[in-house]
Amino acid sequence: MSEQSAAKESRLLRGVHKTVTGLNPVLESLLAGVVGLLIGALLMYIWGFDPWKAYMSLFKGAFGDSYGWASSIARGTPLVLTALTFSICLRAGMFNIGAEGQMMIGAIAAITIALFVLPAGLHMIVGLVIAATAGAIWSIVPAILKIMRGVSEVISTIMFNWIGRFLVIWLGVHILVDPTRAEKTLSIPKATRFPVIMKGTDLTASVFLAVGVALIIYFVLWHTTVGYEVRAAGLNPTAARYGGIRNKRTMILAFLLGGATAGLAGAALVMGLPPSYAIFSSGMPNLTNMGFDGMAVAMVGRNHPIGILLAALFFGGLNAGGRMMQLGSNAVPLEMVRVVMGAIVLAMSIPELIRLFPAIKKSVENIVGRIRDRRERRAVKEVSE
Amino acid sequence: MTSEKPNTSPVESKGGYFLRGEKMGKIYSDGTVALKEASIEIHTHEIIGLLGENGAGKTTFTKILSGLLPPTSGRVLSPKGPVRFSSPREALDFGIGMVHQHFALVGTFTAAENVALSHERPFTRIQLAKAEARLEELMEESGLHVPLDVPIEKLAVGEQQRVEILKVLSRDVDLLILDEPTSVLTPLEVDELFTLLKRLKGEGKSIILITHKLKEVQSVTDRVVVLRHGELVGDVPTETATTEQLAQLMVGQAIDKDAGAVELSDQELPLKRERSVVNRDADSVLHVEGLTIRSNVGDIAVEDLSFDVYGGEIFGIAGVEGNGQSELVESLTGLRVPMRGQATINGTNILGLSPREIYKLGVAHIPEDRWELGLVLPFTLAENAILGVHQWKEFKGPLSFLRWGKINTHVRALMDRFEIRAAGPSSPAKSLSGGNQQKLIVGRELAKDPAIIVASQPTRGLDIGAAKYIRDLLEEMRDNGRAILLVSADLDEVLARADRIAIMYEGRFMAVCDPDELDREQIGLLMGGVEREEARV
Amino acid sequence: MNWLFLLSYSLHAMVPLTLTAVGEIVTETSGLFNIGLEGILLISAFAGALGAEASGNAIVGLLTGMAVGAAFGLLFAVINTYWKGTQMVTGIGINLFAVGFVAFGLILLGSPGFHDVPTSAELTSIRSGMGGISPMIFVALVIPFLIHWFLRRTRVGLILKATGEMPEAADVSGINVNMVRILAAIFGASLAGLGGAYMSVAWLGSVTKDLSAGRGFIALACVVFSGLNPLLALLGGFIFAFFQGLAETLKTMPNKIIPWQFVSMLPYIVTLLVVSGAIGRVRFPKELGVPYKRE
Repeated sequence: MSEQSAAKESRLLRGVHKTVTGLNPVLESLLAGVVGLLIGALLMYIWGFDPWKAYMSLFKGAFGDSYGWASSIARGTPLVLTALTFSICLRAGMFNIGAEGQMMIGAIAAITIALFVLPAGLHMIVGLVIAATAGAIWSIVPAILKIMRGVSEVISTIMFNWIGRFLVIWLGVHILVDPTRAEKTLSIPKATRFPVIMKGTDLTASVFLAVGVALIIYFVLWHTTVGYEVRAAGLNPTAARYGGIRNKRTMILAFLLGGATAGLAGAALVMGLPPSYAIFSSGMPNLTNMGFDGMAVAMVGRNHPIGILLAALFFGGLNAGGRMMQLGSNAVPLEMVRVVMGAIVLAMSIPELIRLFPAIKKSVENIVGRIRDRRERRAVKEVSE
Repeated sequence: MTSEKPNTSPVESKGGYFLRGEKMGKIYSDGTVALKEASIEIHTHEIIGLLGENGAGKTTFTKILSGLLPPTSGRVLSPKGPVRFSSPREALDFGIGMVHQHFALVGTFTAAENVALSHERPFTRIQLAKAEARLEELMEESGLHVPLDVPIEKLAVGEQQRVEILKVLSRDVDLLILDEPTSVLTPLEVDELFTLLKRLKGEGKSIILITHKLKEVQSVTDRVVVLRHGELVGDVPTETATTEQLAQLMVGQAIDKDAGAVELSDQELPLKRERSVVNRDADSVLHVEGLTIRSNVGDIAVEDLSFDVYGGEIFGIAGVEGNGQSELVESLTGLRVPMRGQATINGTNILGLSPREIYKLGVAHIPEDRWELGLVLPFTLAENAILGVHQWKEFKGPLSFLRWGKINTHVRALMDRFEIRAAGPSSPAKSLSGGNQQKLIVGRELAKDPAIIVASQPTRGLDIGAAKYIRDLLEEMRDNGRAILLVSADLDEVLARADRIAIMYEGRFMAVCDPDELDREQIGLLMGGVEREEARV
Repeated sequence: MNWLFLLSYSLHAMVPLTLTAVGEIVTETSGLFNIGLEGILLISAFAGALGAEASGNAIVGLLTGMAVGAAFGLLFAVINTYWKGTQMVTGIGINLFAVGFVAFGLILLGSPGFHDVPTSAELTSIRSGMGGISPMIFVALVIPFLIHWFLRRTRVGLILKATGEMPEAADVSGINVNMVRILAAIFGASLAGLGGAYMSVAWLGSVTKDLSAGRGFIALACVVFSGLNPLLALLGGFIFAFFQGLAETLKTMPNKIIPWQFVSMLPYIVTLLVVSGAIGRVRFPKELGVPYKRE
């Protein structure tokens, strides 16, 4: 082979290699998604469903027509925000599992704007601010506990989830209850609701809120010193401290930001989810699990705001399509969607999923090699004796 | 160069051979030559001292000998069987035991529990009483005493080491390797250890003592093996070797003991260069007085140290690692608080301040461990370049927005100035070579326009080109009037570049002088702990 | 105030908490932190109920739960030792998966969100003055003592502690650190599985979508409280269960002064207080949550 073509070939190979490794995180998420779907398919098959038909109706329901798209985006909107909660804190090196509780507190805080009246635009902004603040307050205690007493933020945020849930139920039943219908809270006044942007769907302008917040977080993390310090503290606290970053202050900031985002998620849910624009106090079906699903979205979105937007769309689609999937002859309960989500997250917890296959090969080779070694040694020993 | 011993029990050595390494060599996959064709025979009833500086290859050497690391060339033989093991435990079963510098002990366990861990068959109830009884026996035999029911972490370091030794002894080893055992012992404990070693030798065991301390070697070994830059340069009976010869072997000149000739390799040629003339009448930039620092394990790492560093000079601290250098640097850069003493920069105290405050006083730091302290590896080149200076007005706009435009310009200028080879400011830092990473750190620190630069092992792990570049850079900074504190285990580097040197040993300066004042042998002696008077300096 | 009811409820509620906590103690001693216990509890409850029903035998149900728990423990451990995964993410994944799976399964069984275990398949309780007492309570009382003895007095206990505290020392002694951790996780998760199956088969008699109700996390808090001492985990389990019982008791009482929502918050608030207060004096294995790499 001539020198030139050899050089060219290696350049091509290098280019391919670079692309593949550069895309690696994206590939991993895609691979995890595929694995999750496969596991779901397996379970469906075992239970006698037709996985192919089920997934077809799922994807048709989610992305088949504009109604589907609208549904998917609507369902993905709150997920964007709760995912950001988890991701911001993860970037700071901590696990904030409390999006669920912070979101609910934010939701009920938003409901309080039904108690007073302000000019329309201002009213909505005040509602959002109240919700964000409430969410931030709800996340500050776990942060302080962690910093002052070293309490695992995992446990404390989860406890706050439960405490928050009950608190919200109580507020919804006793304080902010709708006098005409006791099973729900007051509704958000018409003037402060997010307008529906596609008739006949439940897609409201809250999506702009979610996208806007995601973009803001992106800018904060990568284009401000505040975000820079958060990321540095999360990646290498020692070097960060060395660079003059006060890690404790950064941690608190991250938690506050995360809590605020979750609070906004709650606001988006009540101010942007027709038809009731309220919380149903028993069970809170609209709110439940938004926090946990958000974590799944965050992980699949690689904790990056842009990735989160895409992942939220995907998970929103799963939810929306799931409703379609449970209709018709091959009716698969939409809970299967959550099974798939869990499987995807499990797959995501294995780093370098792509390398897993060679890794398995290597472990097998390892074991075989060791057995061979031992046999060799035994043979040598016998000979020398 | 190496001693030739016949295969059968010779008259000179007191026993047969236990282990023989023939032309052992080790080249790592990245091309580093760790060991070059070293041959050695280890006899029973023998204590061998293994001398060498950092990076000489002592660890590689012993690992290959003890069967834990396969050599890339040569082999290791023993009449007892093949010497190839996949875990330290197998080596122990064979009869080779190593006592490391960092003990493999579980802190929350007692001594008895630690011994029991390495001993019994799995899944049986530990009879702690039995383990304790056996330990008591051992303690009587060996003369090593430790309280048996106290968690290890509460014991003094010397006692911990005894547990480690007992652990190995309880496996009835034939070859005992000790890696720098006396670095954590008091003189009394050292004596006790050596008494034990001599007793073990009498019982027929072979012992390898890895150390850089010349006096120890003289006092307890039968034979001294010296490694330098991966080569075995000396294997002589202790009684025939003087400390001067050993020092020479360790640091510079190879001796053929038969011929008595002295050979100099190229790199050892003393460099005649212009030393800077420093105005000592002006105040020093860094003033240290009576600094005493405690180490992590509780003993004294630095003892009553005093020195000054002036603007326009490179003050080099030479010495084998582990003699207090890290603790000293940490105290001067805000990572550690000393017990006593003073340190000021241009008159302002720096002890106990945070890294940020110290940087504001004009101190730049090139850290020893660039991955842990110097860089955030997942960050890009640019993001790393502004670590510590990200709050500067030029980089930070309103609402704390980062001005990436200005930052990238600055970074590109850095890349130009310091010849940092990378695709661009957005390359991830971990894709840079070690040399380029270090240049990035240096560039970043110098951009702070510091009064003094504390450079700790700045060229460690770098290729020759990058290392030279960094050293030239430091000289340039010096010529610009800055003060440079250079701490390096690379003696050549310190001798070649520093204007004044200090030799650090066990937390003290054995000497502070011009590099030309001492010859290599004397330096070797000082590094090995021989006092100035004895070294006839 | 119906004290007997309170006591009975507390003892019963103690079982899943204590069993899970003791199991996690073993796991954490070896250096792994399994946050997926919540999901394991839930899915084992489900599996246990199915197993009991299918075989008509409650014991089989309990064993099924243990087996399912063990399987998830294995999955968790392999991902986080040999495959160098992230323990937190795996745990969260298990939780999500379990919630979905159980909800899904419940629907398939006919009644969404809820399924009764036929009485024939339930573990028969012992009659006593307090009403039925499940024999599992005695199991939950005994196991902490067994594990406590095991950890302190056997060599396996030593090995476990070594792998969590200083895996290098264990490695040097020829112990396969990853294998030990895998076995510890399997054991811990199977105890959690037993606790889960107990809830459906031997105590509540039904499986609901949110059966675990945070118990997995309360058990984690219990582990913190116990400082990895199984006997303290027993105590802690009882304390937390007591507050759960208090909440239940107050709910049944015609008491309009304290709204039931606040009463329901009690166990979680208490957990929080205990965890915040306990941290000072507790010492965890040095290498907890850190994957082991041989240099």
